[in-house]
Amino acid sequence: MERSNYKSEIPIFEFHGGIHPKEHKLESNQTPIQNIPLPKQLIINLKGQAGNRSLPVVNVGDKVLKGQVIAESDGIFSTFQHAPSSGTVVAIEKRPIAHPSGLDDLCVVIETDGKDQWCDLKPKSNVIDLERNEILAHICESGIVGLGGASFPTHIKLKKESGIHTLIINAAECEPYITCDDRLLQEHAVEVLKGADIISQLYDDLNIIIGIEDNKPNAIDALVAARKELGMDAVKIAVVPTKYPSGGEKQLIQLLTGKEVPHGGLPADLGLVMHNVGTCFAIYEAFEFGMPLISRVVTLTGEACQKPGNYKVPFGAPVEHLMTFCDAQNPGVLVMGGPMMGFELPNPSVGIVKATNCIIMAAPKELKHDHLALPCIRCGACMDACPASLLPQQLYWHAKADEFEKAEEYDLFDCIECGACAYVCPSDIPLVQYYRYAKSTIRNQKVEKTKADKARLRHEARQERLERVKREKAEKHRKAAEARRKAAEAAGEDDAKKAAVAAALARVKAKKAQQDDEPASADNKADNSTTDNKDSDA
Amino acid sequence: MSLISSPFAKKPTSVTEMMLWVIGATLPGLFALVYFFGMGVIVNLIIASITALVTEALILKVRQRPILPILFDGSALVTAWLLALALPPLLPWWMTVVGVSFAIVFAKHVYGGLGNNLFNPAMVGYVLLLISFPLEMTSWLPPAELAQNPVSLMDAISYIFTGTSMSGEPITAARMGVDGFTMATPLDHVKTELAQGYRLAEIESHAVINGLSGSGWQWVNIGFLAGGLFLMFRKVIGWQLPAGVLLGMMLMSFIMFAMDSDHYLSPSFHLFAGATMLGAFFIATDPVTASTTPKGRWIFGLGIGVITVIIRTFGGYPDAIAFAVLLMNMTVPMLDYYTKPKVYGHKAKRSQGDSDAH
Repeated sequence: MERSNYKSEIPIFEFHGGIHPKEHKLESNQTPIQNIPLPKQLIINLKGQAGNRSLPVVNVGDKVLKGQVIAESDGIFSTFQHAPSSGTVVAIEKRPIAHPSGLDDLCVVIETDGKDQWCDLKPKSNVIDLERNEILAHICESGIVGLGGASFPTHIKLKKESGIHTLIINAAECEPYITCDDRLLQEHAVEVLKGADIISQLYDDLNIIIGIEDNKPNAIDALVAARKELGMDAVKIAVVPTKYPSGGEKQLIQLLTGKEVPHGGLPADLGLVMHNVGTCFAIYEAFEFGMPLISRVVTLTGEACQKPGNYKVPFGAPVEHLMTFCDAQNPGVLVMGGPMMGFELPNPSVGIVKATNCIIMAAPKELKHDHLALPCIRCGACMDACPASLLPQQLYWHAKADEFEKAEEYDLFDCIECGACAYVCPSDIPLVQYYRYAKSTIRNQKVEKTKADKARLRHEARQERLERVKREKAEKHRKAAEARRKAAEAAGEDDAKKAAVAAALARVKAKKAQQDDEPASADNKADNSTTDNKDSDA
Repeated sequence: MSLISSPFAKKPTSVTEMMLWVIGATLPGLFALVYFFGMGVIVNLIIASITALVTEALILKVRQRPILPILFDGSALVTAWLLALALPPLLPWWMTVVGVSFAIVFAKHVYGGLGNNLFNPAMVGYVLLLISFPLEMTSWLPPAELAQNPVSLMDAISYIFTGTSMSGEPITAARMGVDGFTMATPLDHVKTELAQGYRLAEIESHAVINGLSGSGWQWVNIGFLAGGLFLMFRKVIGWQLPAGVLLGMMLMSFIMFAMDSDHYLSPSFHLFAGATMLGAFFIATDPVTASTTPKGRWIFGLGIGVITVIIRTFGGYPDAIAFAVLLMNMTVPMLDYYTKPKVYGHKAKRSQGDSDAH
């Protein structure tokens, strides 16, 4: 493929490993971004972003206009969602969603009326006059999430202000087949830069670097021209060599700064914040026109796709609608995302989500390889390809043997699942599957352990409470007994007094009796009765 | 519906391809062996290859594994090939069969087959033969230009299968040098002569060790060096490991040579003698049994180089690559564990409680 000879404006460092798979970009990046016919139904997944589910604010039967809010942020970790076109809400129910599990989740289904009628839009083009939290709130209310693939809510990513000195715009787009960012830059570089400028309003003295692979010469030219047009001379264009996965957040940071995001840390720890070109474009539209994020550029490609190219697709558009549009007959595999990190769609009826950058309608032999996995011969090709400098061969060995502690010692959780190891493996071992398996098992074990710990604590607390109640009861009994005993003793004293009185009386009597010649038998009787009394009380 | 997980793209490489490259790269060395030591080398190769394939097929059947895909992954063939290249040219056929089948069954499949064996199968087979049949295993032929009775193909076959030549001459005839003495390998010869009190300066005039490291042998080593460099260039093998072996060997032999050049062989002799290049580029580089980390490969290689020189000099056997490789094989699990490379994001010293950060 053609390489740009534009010289990077900042020095470029290297990252370990990486691979050079066939790029397959020319199939889709030769034509401008087009619209697709509006589908009859839009199926909008309420959990169409990283984080929590948005809370629906419409009811079945409601008429909605294009851009109208249909779900709100939960206020913690989600964003707003909007109607991608005008129509009627016909269902809010569980439907298959775009997730490798193939599980169902809550979706808002809109029957479109074909009018595509906008609601009232509230532009906020006066960004300079806005407070920081007003800008963030508008980003959240516009439903903007990271469009590079992870769909992390953008307003949360932008929240931290202190210490941030550089914005990196990720235009690397290193995965084969995908060209949506490339086309977006070729056609809308000015808007992307304006979006970046809005982000820079959130910080003091923010440097802006655009990281882009040298296999996008036209996009680089467009960026240079746009920068000149806008007079944003401070923006640096960093051209990196084409190598997968240079667009990975950690790898691009290493390429542009030579630094590594510390283990368990965030780019913000290095004073960096990274956003995708598509996100910048969405931010621009949200402020300039008040348009919420209701569609995105999606690359439709693959050998089975008869009309490969980039299309502006409303969210919720069913994949089967796109396939019909592209005349894709019986594709061998249907992949959402790129061939390296995407996933096979379990069901073509799912709707497009904010993370969907690409749909590959692959011919039967194009992406599936049904070779038998041979034993690992520890050749180390995976180690040489790993961008995280892991030892994939050892991780595989331990994951396969369920030796999860060992796998963790080999830093399993630093694996970014880029697939470079499996790509180069001469034994055709699906390495990433083993790592996913090990990771999820460890996570489950940790959840189980937490649960067990909680249960144990609860049990111990209960035991202690029972013990305490028992102790308190015993104490109460003891005190009651004491009280009774004291009372009894008191009563006993009374008896003694009575006895003494009786004795005294008896003596008097006796004296009288003596005088009457009677012995002291009455005295003895009285003594006995006192003793008896005391015994029964004790 | 069978879902598969990413990545969907795959580089078109295979284990078989790698194995075939390895076999192909032995050709220059093989030609040198055949040129100097006759067609017996080829006969050994054929016997070893057939034995390996048959044994592998049988044991896969016993272990109830799919036979065809594994049989043709090429690994058994490489084991046979490397072992055969290390055998004396006229070794009785059944010894080759014993060595190869032992290597396949006991050094490889008993551990669980390809990828699971701790010891280099070819070297296990070699050492079994060496300690069981020391005489036969050290009976090399004189290189062609020094041989009194050069061995033809038919003679070679006859020797290997019957123990005598076509005309009924015993094997000692084939081993006779032009000077009328039975020929040993240069390493063996030097060892014997040194033991008899000669100094190296005196021994060096002997025909068997003329040139860099003895007639014939230097060319065999140059052949394997060329093939090995080709493999390195093709990225079938890494460069650290052979570099480690050669460097370790040079360091150790240089220290001893510098101390007493009368009794210790020079680094250049060591480098081009015996199985040095075959060992460094083809045997030590067996990925399954070598260390798998970059640093570990260096240490593994250096260890082999140093141990080889020590055993060659002070041990009871003339060559020592096989022993050195097996000894270093034992250290691999430990080497791998303690030479983990620094993972991305761990450059800064790991803080305490790090493991809870996930």
